Amino acid sequence: MADTEDAGASVSEPLDLVRLSLDEVVFVKLRGDRELKGRLHAYDSHCNLVLGDVEETIYVVEEDDNEEETVRTIKKQEEMLFVRGDSVVLISPQA
Amino acid sequence: MSFFGFNTNLPRDRDGPGARGFFENPDPFAEVARANALEDDDAIDFEDTYDGLGDQLPDDQDEFNDDTFGGAPDKSVGRDFDFFGKTAQVSDAIGEEQVRFSLQNPNAPRVAPQPQPQVPVQQAPGVETVKRSGYEKYSDPGYIPDLQAKSSVWGVSQKKAEPAPSRKMMSLEEVEAQMRQHPQHSSPAAQAFLRSMVEPAYPPQHQHLPTLPDGFPAVPPEFLQAQLKQGHLPPQMHPPPGMPELYGPGPVPTGGPLHMMQTANLPPQHMPPTGPRHASPPQAQRPPQPQQPQPQQVPPPSRGSNNAMPVITNPQQLMHLTEEQRNAYLVEDAKRAKRNHKIFLLSRGNGLMTPQDKNFITRIQLQQLVAAAGNVADSDPEAVLAEDFYYQVYSQIRGAPRQHPHQPLGHFAQTYLLQTGNRLGGHGRRNFQSADNHMQRMQQQVQRAVEAAKAKPKNKQLIIEGSLGKIAFSNAKAPKPMLNIKRPDSSEGAKPKKLHSNLSLSDRKSILTNLEGVYSALMAMEDMERTMPPPPEEGDAEAIQEHLEWRQKLHSLNQKLWHSLKVMEPIVPNSTTPHPFIAFLSYPKGKKAIPRIFRHIDQEQRVTILTMIVVHLDSLDVVHQAQPVPGEAQPSLGVREAIDLFSLAVMPCLLGYVNEAPFNIIIGLLGLVINQTHVHTVARTKVGLGILTMLLSRAEIVKEAGQASEHDWQQWVEKFNVLFDTLEPGLNDIFPGTISSGDDMYVWQFLAAVGIGASPEQQQRLVIAVKDRVMETVGYSKTLPADMGSQRLSNVNLFMRAIGLDVELLG
Repeated sequence: MADTEDAGASVSEPLDLVRLSLDEVVFVKLRGDRELKGRLHAYDSHCNLVLGDVEETIYVVEEDDNEEETVRTIKKQEEMLFVRGDSVVLISPQA
Repeated sequence: MSFFGFNTNLPRDRDGPGARGFFENPDPFAEVARANALEDDDAIDFEDTYDGLGDQLPDDQDEFNDDTFGGAPDKSVGRDFDFFGKTAQVSDAIGEEQVRFSLQNPNAPRVAPQPQPQVPVQQAPGVETVKRSGYEKYSDPGYIPDLQAKSSVWGVSQKKAEPAPSRKMMSLEEVEAQMRQHPQHSSPAAQAFLRSMVEPAYPPQHQHLPTLPDGFPAVPPEFLQAQLKQGHLPPQMHPPPGMPELYGPGPVPTGGPLHMMQTANLPPQHMPPTGPRHASPPQAQRPPQPQQPQPQQVPPPSRGSNNAMPVITNPQQLMHLTEEQRNAYLVEDAKRAKRNHKIFLLSRGNGLMTPQDKNFITRIQLQQLVAAAGNVADSDPEAVLAEDFYYQVYSQIRGAPRQHPHQPLGHFAQTYLLQTGNRLGGHGRRNFQSADNHMQRMQQQVQRAVEAAKAKPKNKQLIIEGSLGKIAFSNAKAPKPMLNIKRPDSSEGAKPKKLHSNLSLSDRKSILTNLEGVYSALMAMEDMERTMPPPPEEGDAEAIQEHLEWRQKLHSLNQKLWHSLKVMEPIVPNSTTPHPFIAFLSYPKGKKAIPRIFRHIDQEQRVTILTMIVVHLDSLDVVHQAQPVPGEAQPSLGVREAIDLFSLAVMPCLLGYVNEAPFNIIIGLLGLVINQTHVHTVARTKVGLGILTMLLSRAEIVKEAGQASEHDWQQWVEKFNVLFDTLEPGLNDIFPGTISSGDDMYVWQFLAAVGIGASPEQQQRLVIAVKDRVMETVGYSKTLPADMGSQRLSNVNLFMRAIGLDVELLG
């Protein structure tokens, strides 16, 4: 709360840009070949995030018999998700 | 083994293994206390009341006991106490005794001032020689001083019984256990004893009488007897209303001592030989009838709330009651037994914790509370906020009672402590005093806990002796600083922002930045509101100054908010990019901000916002994107959500303003709609129609109330006609989708608003324009389930009634 007051509309640090995406749909890339797309409800300095209406995509690499690698995707839908900051690779506004 | 060197072999007193004499646990000062209680007796001096003399007696010289205590070895006294059982067994004898007593009784009082049957028992031979000290009765080892405790079993409280301070260590059960071991004596004394049970209140009364000063006997003893015999006690003798009438034969641990204490406290009330007590109303109602002993069969008239039932003191009495009364009594009795059982169950845990234990637990809980609520006494309201920010803000927005940041403890105490206090007070019926004390103590403890927490030195680091480093503490409120980066000065930080704002006002990022600016200002203002200083009193220069400063700050925040909103940005006609404020409104968080913004801006700013919205009505996202697409029944999900949000968040604010707006503003707004926007586009959307409905109905209300001047009204009608003419060709398009595609209520509302304001000729045209839709809807509603159908019909009727028709007329 305190930081929102003095930050104002100015962009003085990277996370201020994330702030612009509050209540907007963002794209989040995570470690472990996962991606999220959802509405950003909250974040903090650790990049812990709370997302709503999230679609999670997991990329799984599978080797078939011919040792050829194929990528399979698993999609999950979550109503609300807490993401721990240490797994966040990037946050991008989804315009 | 006896303290007094009693011959422990005395058959009557010492013949059971568990038998404990009354003097086994002597309290040397009890006699003193007793003597004090009877201080009217001037014959008492210290030597008389001091019991400890027995200490010096050699144990083997028991033969002196008789001299000392007037021991009368053969005064046998019935010690049976199992009154119910025994009485039932000897009910016949009781009946006889009763008759005998009633014959005997008239004479009895005349014989002596102490005419009660127990007198012979008490006046042991030795007593006569001893100087009267007030505790002669105790000199007889067979004396049973606590008859009143047992008669309390029958629900008669004999508060007049003499004090028995030295007996406190014996509980009722102990006495009973002791007495059970003695067989019933059929001696005259036993009969006297039984008789004393028939008149339960009687013996104590007489035990009491001798101690009265000489001036007292103005009351004829017969009078009292007659009264007591009827089971009536003077008002003072009734148990206090909150008290359980009896503790019952069940083992109630506290029963005995409590009763003792009560009896011990009471006698002084009865001591003063004043007349008024005897002239009190209850006695006046009952004229003395000393010579006509009242048979007990006559149940006394019930008196007082406590006495709805006749006081039943023995089963004999019960026998004489009428069937109805007996049943009622038994019901009462069962109730009482149930209650006693409950009390017993509840009291199981009594005494498990000492007051110290309770104190300890209370302190722990209080400290936890204090810790949970943060440092509540911190004068800095920020600290309170930091702990439950959302609650504070929520309660503020919801208009909850204003928090007093200056008295957080008071609030805290009200929330947590006063409630507890009420609960205590509610339960502790007769202990309001102690409940209050609890309250005070709790509050004091809170205060102390808080002060201790404040006083605790805030060591931020610990240096262990001999170690090389130091350990820094951190907690949730003050995390350990990992990095220490100096923030750029605010002047430096502001520069890049300026650059940005010059670029473009309507690109996505700057809109979002504006939005965040608005929210920052909003939060700051809401925060300011919380810290509003109390309204200054006149003459208090400092408070006024404070208030002024506060207002100044609030004003600057308001300006910041207003600036961030970008409402005043110039309107660029035919611009491809929407106005910044309209772009602002296109974000969900922008819409959500409006209600909060409206709380903090003045009327002028509100009308500016309303004007801005009206001017850009057709470029609002909720209008612009909500245009019906051929082939699709309704707009996409996202747009529908936006419309709903707009209707929920923005429309009520606008409506709230419009409902109070002066008529000329309404006229101006309608003119703007007609001139600045594409009316057909507007009219094809829910939000657009909603705003038009808002304006039209306000005009109608102004007209109805007669507040519109002729000139204004003329203007309005002009504008209305233009609007109507513009709308008329497209009236069929304002309905969403086909007839089966759901909600069209807002359309009917709009049509109703138009219909009311329309001239008869316009109404005609209106009906013609929407006639098909009306008929369709009426027909369609018949195919729907009853409730849905009537819903649709009532929507249509809304319009029909506005033009003076009814769907019923359509058949």
